Amino acid sequence: MSGNLHQSGVRFLRQLGRHADPIMKAYLGGSLADDELEPGVQELLVKDGILYRPEPGADLHLRRVVRALLEEALRNDRNRQIDANAASTLAAFMTLADHYKEARHQGDYAAADVHLADLREHVYAFGETLRHSVRVLWSRINNEFGYVGTLNAKIRENELTQSQVSELLGGLELVSFETLAETAGDLRELRHLLVTNLQRTLSACTQELSIVQGRLLELLGRFREIRGRTRLLKGWLLHMTQRPDYQAGPHAGGRVVPQLFNQAPPILAPASLDIHDSTLEAELLALLAQIRAQSQQDRPAQLLGDAPDLTLHAPETFEVQPSPIRAAVDAYFCQVIDSAQAISALDYHRQESLPWDAESWLYQVIGGYDGLPEAQKRHFELDMIGEPHPLYSGNFIIRDLRLWLA
Amino acid sequence: MLSIKGQVIERLLQGAFICRTTDEDGWRFLTIPGNRDEVDNYLGQLNRQVATVGAGGQGEVFFCGYRQLGDAERKVIGQQFRDICQALTPLAEWLVLVQEAAAQDAPLTEGTPVRLNALQTVIEDTPAFREQLARISHYRLFGSNSPTVDNQLKLVFRRLCELGYLIRPNPEKQIYLATGKLDYLYEVIRFIDEAEGLSLEAQAEVASQGQLL
Repeated sequence: MSGNLHQSGVRFLRQLGRHADPIMKAYLGGSLADDELEPGVQELLVKDGILYRPEPGADLHLRRVVRALLEEALRNDRNRQIDANAASTLAAFMTLADHYKEARHQGDYAAADVHLADLREHVYAFGETLRHSVRVLWSRINNEFGYVGTLNAKIRENELTQSQVSELLGGLELVSFETLAETAGDLRELRHLLVTNLQRTLSACTQELSIVQGRLLELLGRFREIRGRTRLLKGWLLHMTQRPDYQAGPHAGGRVVPQLFNQAPPILAPASLDIHDSTLEAELLALLAQIRAQSQQDRPAQLLGDAPDLTLHAPETFEVQPSPIRAAVDAYFCQVIDSAQAISALDYHRQESLPWDAESWLYQVIGGYDGLPEAQKRHFELDMIGEPHPLYSGNFIIRDLRLWLA
Repeated sequence: MLSIKGQVIERLLQGAFICRTTDEDGWRFLTIPGNRDEVDNYLGQLNRQVATVGAGGQGEVFFCGYRQLGDAERKVIGQQFRDICQALTPLAEWLVLVQEAAAQDAPLTEGTPVRLNALQTVIEDTPAFREQLARISHYRLFGSNSPTVDNQLKLVFRRLCELGYLIRPNPEKQIYLATGKLDYLYEVIRFIDEAEGLSLEAQAEVASQGQLL
């Protein structure tokens, strides 16, 4: 039985994973049009209770439980749902406790264990729901109802949240530990679950809820004050346009002046410098230095008149001296063209007994080849003859070059 | 160097409003009752005292008021009252303009940043705001006679900084912060509203509902 449940659960979760894309689309968009899903997939998801059609002809919607799962996982604070139904949960506790006691009484310990596990699950779930509700409330407070735009909407949201908190507190008041203790009797497990555990959860939540309530009232007060200020400004302007010659009464002229208008004019003027005070010498010198620095900055402007005349004349002509090694490279290239054969650079070097050492010759040939215009370069091929470095990979040692016509 | 107490006294005697935004250290100093009494004692010799608006805690603003009122003091206060009454309408219009241009629910309060560049873009793009700004900048409080939005806006902001309603924490950036003196302004309007029974809030609500219909 449990193996079967396990398997179908795994299958359901896989189903969720496989169709994660359309599910998220439905979560974000609110609904899914018929043509966005293949009919087979659609039927499967509807059958598994992931999607449903609220009324014939409507788009497909995400089931409440799946949505709640996602909201919880994504910490989405648009979730305004708070489960405040404590009475039915308590009734379920009582019923399960009675089942458990009866089973124990009859000596059916296996059944008693099952009932106890069930009850434990319920009690834990109750605590979890409470904590979740408190968390949702805090997240709303912390972003100051940031998910709605206008101040009026914020005030409405605040009022909704306050009513939810009152409901939650009202629900918690229903929990009577006297009755629970009576139900638990002297059964140790039951007592632990229904009295100790529940009490701990409730006292923590009640305390936190009262803080939440205080903060909500504070926020509401602030929202109202902000709204009041806006209205005050607009009201004043309206008043002034309706009665442009309006003059506020002489509130500051009466016997008793309100503290608001009792404002003394400034009486403190900047103090002056005492140049005979030797303790200020350092500061005074620093000030003096600044003055001098400024006058120095001015000086170049005065000197500008003394600058020699600037005359423009034609620059002297000059000639670029052709370098002999470059000429030799050119000759080497011509030789290749003339012979139409591949010629090794070192062979040519030896043949012409050129004065430069072999290495600079090779460098010059490579440079000459690379320096050719693209159109001419196409007619040549330059082979590098050499071997990779025995120790360091990526290095290639060139021993010789061979140039030929492509 | 002045101690923090000396700085606070200096600022108060210069006629400054001390709020959390303009001078956080001084503001913290004054929120402690013992320190405030010390400053009060000192100012008492000059027939002055520390005055405050706003509920205790966050929005409190301190300024310097007279301790005892003779005829001369009454005259000064009467003049100041007339000045602030004249400034109310331009400032209220400016506050509404900034609020509407930024599409915000809340009017400026202490510590709210205003980005001049963003505001300018919105105002330049919206003819109604441009007209509003032109009207505001031509009030005597601001005294602009420039036809361009750029100049009008810069002048209005400069004047507001001079008057202590705004500060510019970084002179290289066009970001301004509203100071506690604006909160003082709201208190003044609220006071007049209550004293004269104008019921401004109700008027505004009726008007906004009328717009909806």
